Amino acid sequence: MKFWDRLLRIDRRWLYAIIWLVVMIPLLFPFKIKPMAMPPVTRLFNYIDTMPEDKTLVISVDYTPDIQPELHPMCIALLRHAFANHRKVGLLTLQVMGLGLGEAAIRQVTEEFNSRATTHEDSIINGEDYVYWGWTTPIITILLGMGERITNVFPVDYYGHRTDSLPIMAQLKNYDDIGIVVSIAGSSIPISWVNFANTQFGVPIGCGATAVSAADYYPYLNSGQFTGMMAGMKGAAEYEQLVADKFDELGIRWELRRKGTEAMSSQTAAHIAIMIFIIIGNIAFFITRRRKK
Amino acid sequence: MIVLVLGIFGAAAFIIPHPIVKGIDGTMRNDVLRIITAFSLVLGVGSIIQHHLIKVRRKAEHWPFSYVTLIALVASAIIGLFGGIDPASPGILPTHIGGFSFHMQTLYENVMVPLAATMFALLAFFMASAAYRAFRARNLEATLLLIAAFILMLGAVPLGRMLIRPLPDFAEWILTVPNTAAKRGIMFGIGLGSIATSLKIILGIERGWLGGGGK
Repeated sequence: MKFWDRLLRIDRRWLYAIIWLVVMIPLLFPFKIKPMAMPPVTRLFNYIDTMPEDKTLVISVDYTPDIQPELHPMCIALLRHAFANHRKVGLLTLQVMGLGLGEAAIRQVTEEFNSRATTHEDSIINGEDYVYWGWTTPIITILLGMGERITNVFPVDYYGHRTDSLPIMAQLKNYDDIGIVVSIAGSSIPISWVNFANTQFGVPIGCGATAVSAADYYPYLNSGQFTGMMAGMKGAAEYEQLVADKFDELGIRWELRRKGTEAMSSQTAAHIAIMIFIIIGNIAFFITRRRKK
Repeated sequence: MIVLVLGIFGAAAFIIPHPIVKGIDGTMRNDVLRIITAFSLVLGVGSIIQHHLIKVRRKAEHWPFSYVTLIALVASAIIGLFGGIDPASPGILPTHIGGFSFHMQTLYENVMVPLAATMFALLAFFMASAAYRAFRARNLEATLLLIAAFILMLGAVPLGRMLIRPLPDFAEWILTVPNTAAKRGIMFGIGLGSIATSLKIILGIERGWLGGGGK
């Protein structure tokens, strides 16, 4: 058997081993990358950065643990951005499997801020600076009900507190008090936000999507129904970079892990490896085909 | 008749701002829909228990895994209902032995998240193998697809900008213009199809969803 024939019939386990190494090595020894934000990410960042102070950022944690590595950094970056800017935050999830991820994200970021806080004003307090409404169902009840009265949709928060007793809810009654809803999802849930919350109540919607589903959302981005979008690990890394620049601007010199940016080394290496696979596979295919003719 | 009335009312409530219509719509959405959804949970849990009990009783293929499913279902339900979320929000059931905690959040972060992430991570291996074996420039369409994939893959990583400065912008243009044009066409088709199917269901022309065939 000729070299190219052997290459075409290579045991797939070799390919698996190569891709494993290509992903693992840059994860352990990442190379330095400074992401440059593309327009959809910049638009989302700028909107949140400049929205009126009395408006709340709502993050809909609509992703599940399987796609967590790609989307969780977006949630963390959004929370850091909001709290650094002294914006109030409301969290919810329309995916029951996202409940624990929302809890993990808010716990991590509040610990980051509270461990460095010196005054009550610097601290991030549950019920005052943020509220985690948790999950309820069905989706249409939530999306339309939040336009009327949020406390009717979520009578208790994730921790079992009555929402109408929380100080933050005094100024957060419905979509009129929300600056933007950012739905982070690997499914079509952001489109439901557009259909029911944006179209009916006019609340701006942002989106965080997996790279593979981002292409589906460009029509909504072009029409302005999405204010901005973070697409995949790259989008997360770009938003992290914008937040890091904002921290510098605010004089915040904290060394915080940026998992989206860290994982870009692996993603870069994996993309290059797959491109090389495609090139080699095509060369082998055409050489063997010509020989057979 | 139920589908006809509720289907027309559900659509009409979006465009009729009368307080009586809004009130009924609110009750339907906030109360009736939630009650129906709660029943679907009972149905779902009942179905999964019944399915796995039958597998265990018949010793069907891979029946020991049914025990794993049933035990995990019961254990997570008990811990979720009575065990509290995490050590900061304890429930009535003690969910730690010394320093070892098995609260819902602990189980979720240490069992569910790694399991689900591992399953999804396998995709990278299959994608790499498929790209090597099947992604061929056999004809013009396949070649165009291959070129677009190359530009998008390279544009999605910082190396793309280092090699060819305008590459990420070009990748963004592909997504914003040709991709959007194609997607919009597909979306219009899906939208019109959904309206037609919904009307057929509401008017009783299409009854397949009831399990009774097309008539």
